[in-house]
Amino acid sequence: MTLLANFLAIAIVLNIIESAIPIIPVPGAKLGFANIVTLIILYVYSFKDSVVITILRVLLVAILSGKLLGVTFYMSLSGAVFATLAMGFFKNLNYFGFIGVSTFGSIFHAIGQIVAGIFVIGSTAVVAYLPIMLFLSIPAGVLTGLIAQRFYTIWQTWHNEIS
Amino acid sequence: MSANLSVKNKRDILLVTLLFIILGGIFILFRLFAFQGEAAIANVYYGNSSEPIVSIDFVNYRVIKNYDQQVPSTYDQVYPIIDETARTITLLGDYELSGTRQIVVIQYHYGNKSVQIIQEQSPNKICSREGVSTGWPLICLPNRVRVEFETTAEDFTV
Repeated sequence: MTLLANFLAIAIVLNIIESAIPIIPVPGAKLGFANIVTLIILYVYSFKDSVVITILRVLLVAILSGKLLGVTFYMSLSGAVFATLAMGFFKNLNYFGFIGVSTFGSIFHAIGQIVAGIFVIGSTAVVAYLPIMLFLSIPAGVLTGLIAQRFYTIWQTWHNEIS
Repeated sequence: MSANLSVKNKRDILLVTLLFIILGGIFILFRLFAFQGEAAIANVYYGNSSEPIVSIDFVNYRVIKNYDQQVPSTYDQVYPIIDETARTITLLGDYELSGTRQIVVIQYHYGNKSVQIIQEQSPNKICSREGVSTGWPLICLPNRVRVEFETTAEDFTV
């Protein structure tokens, strides 16, 4: 529990740092580096825990930035839920490693945000941004996957040393 | 365990390479071929409405206000404001700075059939950084203002 709370805090910090860096030319969209934590929890704990932590993260970031129920909140929520479900599915499939699972998560994060964007402005014009977002989500997913994999390896050796 | 990992790693590399080629291809094709037609009309929308609030007619050189923006009575202006001499359209966006909603200023150019968002307030200023557009939709998500282009001329006089 304490560790999960720590993970949640790390995820929130990552999320806030990320929203301060405008790398992606899409309004309100993010690359999803906070998915690192979702991915780690998915492997260390369970799918259920990762869903709970992800939703809590989005809610708390929205409350902290004072944008609860705003445009970016719905986009973050939709992206995060899509990404978590996709990563849960592909992890369960047990066919791809960290990087594959994380890349799928990143791609679905982009799709989720665009879907929310369509509802927010009531137009499919945001789909024009989907190609660039999908393309950028590949390096983001690979980076996220590499970091999570590195963490998981260290985590496992650490646990083996204790027990 | 390590053999199992390396098989997965190979699949990962294959997957990422394939995705990179496919999505990269889609992205390049999209940039090259989408929104290339000459614009006849640029429609300005506010909120999630599918009815344009202002239409810029590049064929007949005129700007048509379709309806007034619904704003709270605390804002004393009537939006959108259409300035024919400066060629700008001013809307009230959704983004708030210390509780006050901020304006979005759109500038149009009949000759180039182009539209640019010259003033707006948002965290990353993405839609004004998009610059001049002749077909690419301009979307200010935090302000919920967007400009979309139509390539076929519609008859507004009927």
